[in-house]
Amino acid sequence: MYTIEVQNLTKRFGSFTAVNNISFQVKKGEIFGFLGANGAGKTTAMKMMCGLLLPTSGSARIAGYDLKSESKQIKKEIGYMSQRFSLYDDLTIKENMMLFGTIYKVPKQELNERIEGHLTELNLMNHKDQLVSSIPLGWKQKLAFSTALLHRPKIVFLDEPTSGVDPIVRREFWSLIYKAAAQGVTIFITTHYMDEASYCERISIMAEGDLKLIGTPTDLKIRMGVNTIEELFTHFVNR
Amino acid sequence: MLSMPVVLIILFGFTISTEIPNAKISIYDQSEDVQSQRLIQSLIASDYFQVVNYPNSEKEIAEDFSQLQIKAAIIIPPQFEKKLISEKEVELQVINDMSDINVASVIKQYIETVILNFENDINLTEFGKTGLLKVSIQMKYNPELNSVYMFVPGIITLIMIIITALMSSITLARESETNTMKMMLITPVKKIHIVLGKVIPYMALSFLSTLMVLAISVWIFEMPIKGNLFVLLILCIVFMFTSASFGLLISAISKTQLDAMMITMMGLFLPTVLLSGFLFPLDNMPYGFQLLANIFPAKWFILALKDIMIKGATFIDIWFYVAVLLFISTLLTIFSVTQIDRRRAS
Repeated sequence: MYTIEVQNLTKRFGSFTAVNNISFQVKKGEIFGFLGANGAGKTTAMKMMCGLLLPTSGSARIAGYDLKSESKQIKKEIGYMSQRFSLYDDLTIKENMMLFGTIYKVPKQELNERIEGHLTELNLMNHKDQLVSSIPLGWKQKLAFSTALLHRPKIVFLDEPTSGVDPIVRREFWSLIYKAAAQGVTIFITTHYMDEASYCERISIMAEGDLKLIGTPTDLKIRMGVNTIEELFTHFVNR
Repeated sequence: MLSMPVVLIILFGFTISTEIPNAKISIYDQSEDVQSQRLIQSLIASDYFQVVNYPNSEKEIAEDFSQLQIKAAIIIPPQFEKKLISEKEVELQVINDMSDINVASVIKQYIETVILNFENDINLTEFGKTGLLKVSIQMKYNPELNSVYMFVPGIITLIMIIITALMSSITLARESETNTMKMMLITPVKKIHIVLGKVIPYMALSFLSTLMVLAISVWIFEMPIKGNLFVLLILCIVFMFTSASFGLLISAISKTQLDAMMITMMGLFLPTVLLSGFLFPLDNMPYGFQLLANIFPAKWFILALKDIMIKGATFIDIWFYVAVLLFISTLLTIFSVTQIDRRRAS
């Protein structure tokens, strides 16, 4: 069963085509890497899937709902975390989680239990009343991911979630991703780190608005006759 | 940035001027003889005044003040010509609208100038006396010449604009800057709810501040509220919405907090101070600026506020101002919402 089905999705800004006729599917519980250089159209494609941008043409089903006519239902089923940190700096850790949980209408009792569970998992229980502005970036990223999961979404979109954090935190972050995927959450992730790309079950590479390649990291390396994903990536980006 | 000095010098250069051409007046001629007609002619010929009515009673004069918005009324006493010949002193009564002290003092000067010229004319030709005509000023609306009357409406306006328009536009721009707006837009929350959630606290805050200013001006500075307090509060609420719609517009066209601040200061705050009639009389600005002043809601709000507090106007007297304010806010809200929507589609 596919939780993301994208069909001929296109986005034009005036005469510039940011996303050109892309189609792909992502399975439930899959970790799908969405690669491409800056300006390749990744963010635009992701914004369309989240309902932030209207597509020029094409269609998509996200979590079983039609992108154009059922965007309300889609919003309830997805979580999102951005490259730039996107929790409220002037609220505490717990207040942020309460805010987003309440927005998604998680029942109060249930929400309190979930927050406690997530904070314990992140080892942040003792810091729950600390302002988000005062905690290190690595914590913030993990917290944002955890908050995006509070309403138990079917899909989580991660837009370069680990940029700017050290390797240890990245490793911890990825163990959170694996845990969520194991529970059936579909992970849709963009990244600049090629080692992270090889953690994904399948990856795709976008360049100049086109979806150039899609498959498992090993398959793609064999298919293109290269040794690393980095070579694979530069092959498309430098053309 | 470079346009700033140009805008400033033009705004200040044209708005700060003490001349008031074509001030509206009424003349109550109780004598209707040759000399009274000559006086009226010289008032008209002076170019200072536009005589809008010739009332025939004190009651009609009062109506001219409330309905024709005259700035002053001149009452020529009966048997004007006879008195000029036989008496040592002839009193000319002038009723002056003191709700705007700056305007009132300029108008008083104009009247005195015209009368002096008139006296010189008749001195040369017929009567040969000097210092014959005495002007007695009767003040209407603000007999204590209290400057509180001037600045309270202005302060209320500025508070509403700073808190409601500036703060809500900055806070919305900040959401975009810190990416939390994007986060919010991805959640199932409706866009209008996000905006309302951001704007309502500031509206409440500005309303509380307005109540405080009113309380202080009434209890400490003894400013009257001659009209209905309820109507006054309704007016303030309407203006609060208008300010909020400006905040919405500013946040729709600005990407950062700095943009929002600059646009509010240059595009709203400054024009409000200069073009609302609060510090500088609108009547003496170039026609283009008077037209421009109509776009900014502050002018209408201050007019209505003064009418209620000083002149005791009822809702029927100020409904037009309220309608203009509602019209401006509806227009701006619709425009801003379509702007935000267009950004999503493009």
